[in-house]
Amino acid sequence: MTTIVSDLNHDSKSAMNMSDSINTLRHDSAALHIDGVSQTYQSKSGSVHALDDVSFSIDNGKFIGLVGPSGCGKSSLLMMMAGLLEPSSGCIRVGQRPIKKPEPEEIGVVFQESSLLPWKTALENVEFPLELRGVDVSTRRALASEMLTRVGLRDFLDRRPHELSGGMKQRVAIARGFCQNPRVLLMDEPFAALDEQTRLSLGDELLSIWEQHRKTVVFVTHSLTEAVYLCDEVVVMAARPGRVIRRIEIDLPRPRTYKMMATARFGELRDEIWELIRNVEHV
Amino acid sequence: MNPWARRSIQGAIVAGFVAVWQASVTAGWVDPMLLPPPADVLVRMVRLLGDASALHHLGVTLAEVMLAVVLVTPIGIALGLFLGENKFWGAAFRPLFYFMSSVPKSVFLPIFILALGMGFSQKVVFGMFQAIFVLIVATIAAAQSVPADWIRTTRSFGATRAQVYRHVYLPAMLPLILEGLRLGMIFNITGVLFAEMYASRAGLGFLIANWGMNFDITSLLAGIVLASLLSILVNETLRWYEHRVGAWRG
Repeated sequence: MTTIVSDLNHDSKSAMNMSDSINTLRHDSAALHIDGVSQTYQSKSGSVHALDDVSFSIDNGKFIGLVGPSGCGKSSLLMMMAGLLEPSSGCIRVGQRPIKKPEPEEIGVVFQESSLLPWKTALENVEFPLELRGVDVSTRRALASEMLTRVGLRDFLDRRPHELSGGMKQRVAIARGFCQNPRVLLMDEPFAALDEQTRLSLGDELLSIWEQHRKTVVFVTHSLTEAVYLCDEVVVMAARPGRVIRRIEIDLPRPRTYKMMATARFGELRDEIWELIRNVEHV
Repeated sequence: MNPWARRSIQGAIVAGFVAVWQASVTAGWVDPMLLPPPADVLVRMVRLLGDASALHHLGVTLAEVMLAVVLVTPIGIALGLFLGENKFWGAAFRPLFYFMSSVPKSVFLPIFILALGMGFSQKVVFGMFQAIFVLIVATIAAAQSVPADWIRTTRSFGATRAQVYRHVYLPAMLPLILEGLRLGMIFNITGVLFAEMYASRAGLGFLIANWGMNFDITSLLAGIVLASLLSILVNETLRWYEHRVGAWRG
């Protein structure tokens, strides 16, 4: 039952309401399962537990935040979901299959702007993942320029990264992620290098693109405000050893507007996360 | 300053240098036996370029230089890649290559003559020896300059190992390798000419050394100008290409 339904779901990407109704039929509506994942590595002072027996599932179509102090393993966890890092034990599954290597059609990654290749134009950068996949030139070029238009860069297709501002480069990186059209999109602190104003407006743009596709997003960030503002659910992690301490549902309505940041509920949610992180840190 | 004004001043300095040279001979400030006028040197150079024997010697030098660069480029790049990518052998051999790239390699010439004689192959091998260290060191630097970020990102797109090399390593490293190749080429030409001047029976270096010993200063200067033009041509061509493929470096 599950496999048939998930095949159906995969084939009918365009039929949004259909996939919604199928989701309610499915026994398993999760996009990703993290099953007892541990990561240890050897350092000079002995073996370090970067992640200790982490388990949780991520539901289809949800916008999930991963927050926690440095060293809590949130980036390692993301790299494992991307198939770029192998867990020491446990596994991460997409549907029923464990992830062993990058699978860009299932799981795409949006990296920081520094990940753009500087000799490629904005357009060439966005179509690069499709080029590697063997998509023909005219198709991939059309897809990439449509995506760049959607992030407001229609007039900058032929610019190289060094001719673009930080915010524009990050837009290119986001367009590159969405252009791959994966089922799950992982974002590794994509806005960390940007100033606050750019961060805020890019957050809004990201949300408006996401509203159209409702892909599953896993978003790693240092900013609690950003996590509460963007996400449906925030997974709070602690360090030494890296582990999940709480999952907090963000019950703010959608679509989100920046005025919500001034509401009491927004403040409560952010404080709750901050208290969790701070108390664990002081133990 | 706008580029045209800069070009004009640069051109005027070269023209001024030649004018002072011509004037000092005409005014009798220098002995024309020691410093013939530039016009004579130019005429001699044109005559040499029409002279079958001189052209033969020039051809020998060009063949030696070209063969050396064709052989040394793949070897140097392959060794540099290996040492830049391989932790163990990189750490083991890197000091040797770094030190060798700072040693004046001309002092090794007698050993090459003892081992290989004074013919064509000795010149080629000595040119390669001059060029290889800077090429290896540049390739090591190029390999290590590629940010892990670009490789990880490209792997996340499902790229195969070959695709990562073709789409990331190659374009990222090319400008730096070309810089090494350009320096290597200058050392290669220097090495070949020096080896010809020291002990040989053919080549531009052989002619230059002979003209010097026979006090044929006009031919000597013409030969020097020819050697300079050759080096400048090679250098500027490679520099142009380096800038073209490295425009993204800003």
